[in-house]
Amino acid sequence: MFQNRAEALALALPAAVFATVIFLVPVVIVLAEGFRSPAGWTFSAYTNFFSEPLNRLVLVRTFKLGIAVTVVSAIIGYAAAFAIVNLSASGKGRMIGLISLPLMISPVARTYAWIVILGRTGIVNQALQAVGLSDEPIRLLFTETAVFIGLLQLFLPLMILSLISALENMPKDAILAARVLGANWFQVFWKVILPLTREGLVVGGTLVFTGSLTAYITPAILGGSKVLMLETLLFQRVTVANDFVSASVIAFILIAMCFAANLLLKRLATARNKR
Amino acid sequence: MNRTLSFSILTALIVFLIGPFLIIVAASLSAGDTLAFPPQGLSLRWIVKVFTVESFRDSFIMSMILAVGGTFVALLLGVPAAYALSRYKLPFGEAVSTVVTLPIIVPGIIVGLALLRYLVVPFSFSIGVALFLAHTALVLPYTVRVVSSSFNNLRSDMEEAAVLLGATRLGAFFMVVLPNIRAGILAAFILGFVTSFNQVPVSLFLSGPGVRTLPIDMLSYMETTYDPSVAALSALLALMSIGIIFLAERFLGFSRYV
Amino acid sequence: MHKKVLAASVFWLMSGALASAEEQTLTISVYGFVQEEFTEALYKPFEAECGCKLVVETGNSIERLAKLEANKDAPVIDMAVFSLADALSAARKGLTDKIDTAKLSNYDKLYDFAKDPNGDGMSVGYTIYKTGIAYRTDKMTVESWADLLKDEYADHVALPNITTNQGGPVLNMIGKALGKESPDLKEAMAAVGEKRDAFVTFYVKSSQLVQLMQQEEIWAAPMGHFSWAGISKLDLPIGWAATKEGDAGDMNAMVLVKGSKNQELALKFMDFWLSTPMQTKIAEMLIDSPANKEVVVAPEIAEKLTYGADVANKLTFLPAATTLDYREKWLAEWNTAVAQ
Repeated sequence: MFQNRAEALALALPAAVFATVIFLVPVVIVLAEGFRSPAGWTFSAYTNFFSEPLNRLVLVRTFKLGIAVTVVSAIIGYAAAFAIVNLSASGKGRMIGLISLPLMISPVARTYAWIVILGRTGIVNQALQAVGLSDEPIRLLFTETAVFIGLLQLFLPLMILSLISALENMPKDAILAARVLGANWFQVFWKVILPLTREGLVVGGTLVFTGSLTAYITPAILGGSKVLMLETLLFQRVTVANDFVSASVIAFILIAMCFAANLLLKRLATARNKR
Repeated sequence: MNRTLSFSILTALIVFLIGPFLIIVAASLSAGDTLAFPPQGLSLRWIVKVFTVESFRDSFIMSMILAVGGTFVALLLGVPAAYALSRYKLPFGEAVSTVVTLPIIVPGIIVGLALLRYLVVPFSFSIGVALFLAHTALVLPYTVRVVSSSFNNLRSDMEEAAVLLGATRLGAFFMVVLPNIRAGILAAFILGFVTSFNQVPVSLFLSGPGVRTLPIDMLSYMETTYDPSVAALSALLALMSIGIIFLAERFLGFSRYV
Repeated sequence: MHKKVLAASVFWLMSGALASAEEQTLTISVYGFVQEEFTEALYKPFEAECGCKLVVETGNSIERLAKLEANKDAPVIDMAVFSLADALSAARKGLTDKIDTAKLSNYDKLYDFAKDPNGDGMSVGYTIYKTGIAYRTDKMTVESWADLLKDEYADHVALPNITTNQGGPVLNMIGKALGKESPDLKEAMAAVGEKRDAFVTFYVKSSQLVQLMQQEEIWAAPMGHFSWAGISKLDLPIGWAATKEGDAGDMNAMVLVKGSKNQELALKFMDFWLSTPMQTKIAEMLIDSPANKEVVVAPEIAEKLTYGADVANKLTFLPAATTLDYREKWLAEWNTAVAQ
């Protein structure tokens, strides 16, 4: 450790000042806008916002989809991460490569594909009809289901990668020991694996949840104006009506939800630790 | 875990994650006029068309400049900050590290809106400059994080020894530290490049006449034209990203840093 | 190498300012629809003629209005096109300047309805169009606007969002068909709201419709006739409905942005666009129907357009002032009755 404070400040200040001026200050002003009125500080923008049933519905939908995507990706994530850590070293490397691959592809392209897949004449519907699960094409595009599928595909890799590293760090004989002592698979998962991998789950969960909340392209393309989410609502309020007050309210809600998720998951991780 | 079970889980997973991308690639090779799968005949006409659309060319150059230039500036800011955070007892170190990593947590659309409202409009910054600043701020957290971990993995007694042997602090940094974290810096650069290049929400509000990033241009092209050229462009871009990552992994073992 | 890249980017960031010093630049904001055709037919010939550079921004009318208002103090756009209602709104908000029609050599060639559509001297119509229903003739029959609401069809119909240019006129026609026509569109919205879950989507960009039709996501949608060229090219049995209520009508108009430094050039561009050869060319490409009455097209082209005063007179127009006066009410009503 070097002790020279002036030197340290000189090194760190440019970045800190840049982030403050270009990022922090403008964002704080935007958030403050929602609490201001010509008469002074007020919550009226918030009461107005929540008195509109459409806004409440969009908020609930965004939250619901965020939770659903997080939970489902955790379930799939555990199954996949298990399968992967048990592979040979080279197989594991290849799988991790394949899973990281979509992260490098533009989300525009990744979402675009679902238009073709989920359409009435798309392959999902063709398959459903071919195996006789449905007589006529079912509508998937412009539904919450479509947005859910799109978001899941977008963020699942983040969950799997976090869980893989958590499982790798777990002592291998813990599971064996529990099995020998007579625990069934459910007990092993609940009592051994979950507590030992919760940090990975927290990291993955935070990434997936906040990612789902703040995704723009997926709800815009796959949901359309019938399945508005907070981010698309914000965009619409600004571009259609220059309604910066509502935009500020939505921005505050989004940031608050992201931070809350962060804190809550961190708390969960440590609370179980203490027991 | 049972072998067949684990095999089927992984197969299903890969189909779900990679399948849509393959469908885009297939659709982009279609000879038909609209996006469809299976493609109606095979042709390269949409791949060719991508290169003739003027706005794609302009916005590609724009996105390249933002991704390369923005990441470069972010590294200029981020490397010293990361060095200070890992090597010095920095006053308010916690606060500094929070401030420089905040842009990762705050939704991009809000950053874009904030810059439009309080930088572009009042100070008549050009949209291009605002985009550049926004992309730099966005990439900064990644550079600080990745480079910090490089610094932390590097024992500090090497540079202390260099200083004891008479090198200046700066000299020690350039001669001893920098050569050892080159891979970390390159990893940060690639991560920043990919993040910036694919970024949509930040750029949503930051677009003006003739000034647009490539993903935004693709979105608006999709809204007006449903021919497979966006699929072709997506496929080309993905191949570019994959190529970069592949080379980085080959020569650097990139995944250790992400 | 980094230094070169940085230098290049700095140069590029400044080049916007430099370019304007070298040659005159005209910045226009128009609809995103068929820009490639417009580039060939209109923009490039104009650039060649004026020796200037044209920068084009695209978007829908309401978004353009919002952006113009946000940049009121430092306008970046010189000339824009709007729906009549948005043109009127822009004029009322003081975002546009009076158009000096003496400088438009083609002004006298315009149909009377296009000359000064809002009666305030702030806009000139450049195209008129009808809004009607395109539908799959093999799947359904459409004789009235109310047919879109039928249970057996609603599941295959996309309607325009209220924020689009087509939103108001379409709801007005539905109200008319239901025998409950009123400027607040309340009854029509209630009827649409009742079936909201059935409708495929409420589209925001009409260009989306081609894909939806092609994928058989929808069988029918009300649309501006300018979308028809793209739709009718599809390899599907699609027809333009002859409803007993007839089609709705609207116009797109050009405006001059207040505070623009290139008003002379903007007027030149408007005049170029309104000229008989240009309006004929655009009509023959089936892009926009002419506002210039000297335009003569072959009958088979004419029937694919909204051509001539006789056709125009049969359309149902929703006056721009009505739209503006009710727009906020519509939006609120839409949000409670339909969007949620």
